[in-house]
Amino acid sequence: MPWAKAEDFIDLKERFPELEIVEAKNETSLHVKKENLIELLKELKNRGFKLFIDHSVVDLKELLEKEKDYRNAVKEKLIAFPEDRISRFQAFYILYNVDERKRVIVKTRTEGKLPTIEKLWFAGKWAERECYDMFGIDYEGHENLVRAFMWDTYPYFPLRKDFPLEGFPEQDLPSLNEVLWGDKLEGTMNYERKHTIVPTLEDLEITEKRRLKKKAQIVLNWGPLHPGTHGTMWFLFDLEGERIVQADVILGQLHRGVEKLAENEMYNQFLVYTDRMDYLSALCSNQAWVVAVERMLGIEDDVPEKAKFIRTMMSELQRINSHLLWLGTYALDLGALTIFLYAFKEREKIMDILEGITGARLTISYPRVGGVRMDLPEGALEVIKAFIKRFPRELDDWERILTRNRIWLRRNKEVGVISPEDAYFYGVTGPVIRGSGIPYDMRKLEPYDAYSEVEFDIPVGETGDCYDRYLVRMEEMRQSVRIIEQCVARLERMPKDAPFFAEVPKEKKIKLTIDGIGLKVPMGDIYSSGENPRGELGFYVFSTGGVKPYRVKVRPPSYYNLCIYPYLMKDRVIADAVTVLASIDPVVGETDR
Amino acid sequence: MESVVAGVIIAIIKILVILGIVLGVGAYLTWVERKVAAHIQRRPGPMVVGWHGLLQPLADGLKLITKEDLFPRYGNKFLYNLAIVLALVPATLVFAVVPFGPEFELFGYKIKPILTDVNVGLLLVFGLGSLAVYAIAIAGWASNSKYPLIGSMRKAGIIISYEVVITFAVMGPLILAGTLSTYEIVQKQIEQNLWYVWVQPVAFVVFMFALLAETGRVPFDIQEAEAELVTGFTVEYGGMKFGLFPLVEWYVEVLSLSAIAVVLFFGGWSPINIPFVGFVDPLFFLGPFSPYAWFLLKVTLLFLFILWLHWTLPRYRIDQITETAWKIMLPLTLINIVFTAVIAPVVWG
Repeated sequence: MPWAKAEDFIDLKERFPELEIVEAKNETSLHVKKENLIELLKELKNRGFKLFIDHSVVDLKELLEKEKDYRNAVKEKLIAFPEDRISRFQAFYILYNVDERKRVIVKTRTEGKLPTIEKLWFAGKWAERECYDMFGIDYEGHENLVRAFMWDTYPYFPLRKDFPLEGFPEQDLPSLNEVLWGDKLEGTMNYERKHTIVPTLEDLEITEKRRLKKKAQIVLNWGPLHPGTHGTMWFLFDLEGERIVQADVILGQLHRGVEKLAENEMYNQFLVYTDRMDYLSALCSNQAWVVAVERMLGIEDDVPEKAKFIRTMMSELQRINSHLLWLGTYALDLGALTIFLYAFKEREKIMDILEGITGARLTISYPRVGGVRMDLPEGALEVIKAFIKRFPRELDDWERILTRNRIWLRRNKEVGVISPEDAYFYGVTGPVIRGSGIPYDMRKLEPYDAYSEVEFDIPVGETGDCYDRYLVRMEEMRQSVRIIEQCVARLERMPKDAPFFAEVPKEKKIKLTIDGIGLKVPMGDIYSSGENPRGELGFYVFSTGGVKPYRVKVRPPSYYNLCIYPYLMKDRVIADAVTVLASIDPVVGETDR
Repeated sequence: MESVVAGVIIAIIKILVILGIVLGVGAYLTWVERKVAAHIQRRPGPMVVGWHGLLQPLADGLKLITKEDLFPRYGNKFLYNLAIVLALVPATLVFAVVPFGPEFELFGYKIKPILTDVNVGLLLVFGLGSLAVYAIAIAGWASNSKYPLIGSMRKAGIIISYEVVITFAVMGPLILAGTLSTYEIVQKQIEQNLWYVWVQPVAFVVFMFALLAETGRVPFDIQEAEAELVTGFTVEYGGMKFGLFPLVEWYVEVLSLSAIAVVLFFGGWSPINIPFVGFVDPLFFLGPFSPYAWFLLKVTLLFLFILWLHWTLPRYRIDQITETAWKIMLPLTLINIVFTAVIAPVVWG
């Protein structure tokens, strides 16, 4: 397991007398007072916990009000400094030690103020902006504390427990029928006219002004709707000629409050929201969520082998699918129009395979807590075998067009260089960090499902420029083919009527069904992550028992990968903006959630 | 008096024929391009309108004409419309000096299949080519928008660089032919039994680069760059006004410059050349139409070559394009001129 041991931190007790070291069944956590937080994080960083994974806040308001639940949570050591009953928020910081493959979680309590960690990790700056946006936490010393997703004049903090799920209806938004024809809709059509507030143009203007102070000639609004941004992202470039002096990103156009929804859905119901986060790799997100819940239930080993191999195989297919879309749009952005159609043709085949097996093409929701929804249909393995036999040849063809192409090299080499130090500082993961030469891959570091039983390599780059990231992703597709081959071989050897859903032993007292209704998860918290095509997709689940999670924090790989973008764009031209953005490959559904 | 009237009539007929061919072919080249692109990309392309989509250009034209004519707020309307004229007219005018075939006699009149055989034909070509930059710069400026402005400035930067290069590149053939008249250049190649591409390969390659750059074809299509600038300087244009820019840039200009390339390097209407020996004409059975067929064939092949590049390669960055022009192309052409001066006496015989 990738968690650090308690003995690693025993000597820290001398420096921080009030430090609590808790080794729970799912994780190792350090509880520290917020006055010593920065000192402790600095010390951990020096000890090799260099990679910033995630930071967020849990609002304990409801828990503090329910005496029984609170006592149980204290018994499970969920809460740092339980004697403090006034501080409403519990902040957590997840760090990773890449060399020794250890993860640790640091928890602290606060009433609403925290010291900023922007000097230690830039990614923390963005995480803090998100917490400020969602919880109203005030970070002392933060350079530019603006909202991450909502517009800057938005008055509420939506993830606080006292913010209702449906929001505060206060704006009159009549329907088009009413405006045009004065229709008075009756019966079921007579919906509420009051809605939650929406931003006006002035709001957006204020938001834009606060992000970027104009220094150079023109501010170019690149987005929110622009073919180069791969979604609804809003970039601001301050231009001197074609050179970008400073850049910033305004996110939130696709913000749907997935984390708020998660608090009000059952574990299985939340599965469909994971589809809609990274919509290009729905199966991988599904898998990461399902594995997280299984780990929490402690039934990871009860999941039948067949289900594990099916899930692994399917998510590798999805990875190829996602990388193909990346390749197509990347080449398209650089002007190579034909590769786009080549890639999409292969992608279409994968989509057909996925559709044949699961019945859906985009938002798949095929895995379930405890297995998969249904067995593989007849002939599925033959189709997959035919595909992976042909696919590497196609890949070779495309590489012949691109990889040694002089123009391709000149557009990609030495563009958007991310050094290993930068990679840690900005908290990037996935192909982006692997392009910088750090073999950080959840499938190897913390194998879930059948990844421990298949052979594959982790490709890494050397210099960390766009070209390396391109090569890494191309090689990853080949490795995925390798994994699929092994999975198919294993699945073929299994008997046809092998179970694809877990049978939980009676003594565990878990009500596990395919629809997942009434699935109760014991009290506890967990950070579990899976390797998405874009990086590490992690779920921090805080459960107080019952059918719904108390708090779910999604660690979106695209969000942290994107935070390096303004830094990479400094002193580059607009033409590089598309190159670098496409090589980081963000998906807006995931950055905004 | 009679000869003046005849001259005017002949000129008008020539104008009509050339305009008809250029604009008609220009429109239909969109169909060719779409078909070629489609087959490169393993798809059938337009198939619905007419047999194999043959009526597609007409449908497209109809669609563009019937579209609403939008105009950006605070733009300059006069310049906005002037840009279209400035783009279309010089590009079409180039065909005035393109020789399509040898002189022939009809009803006792000697007719050259070239509109005006002026003795500064090539200078005219490059003069008109430089005018294209005004169209784009004005279009970008008059649109009052940031994307067109950036796109047009990029294009202006490229054209300025490559105008210099292209002028030096054609210096080689000019020295060998000893004339600026396009008709005479072809005649000289036939007299000397030599396509100039055999002794001027460097000049030809540089000319092709410049052709791609001036017409905004891949790998130099940065003024359009869908991904970054959406479509560059045409962002604020709509309907047929929008349709005209690609028509002019991608088809009329490519055609005219391909024709000039054929004239300069491939002996115009002459059949296949064996250097210093003579010409072999596999199309002799066409009789008097053989030269036209050759001219057409060469231009078509060049055009298809450009299409092939367009649908295969990625695009350069602006600084890389201008860098290539000034640091590689220009020195190459200068060396080529020296080289030409050395071999010129041999060619002159």
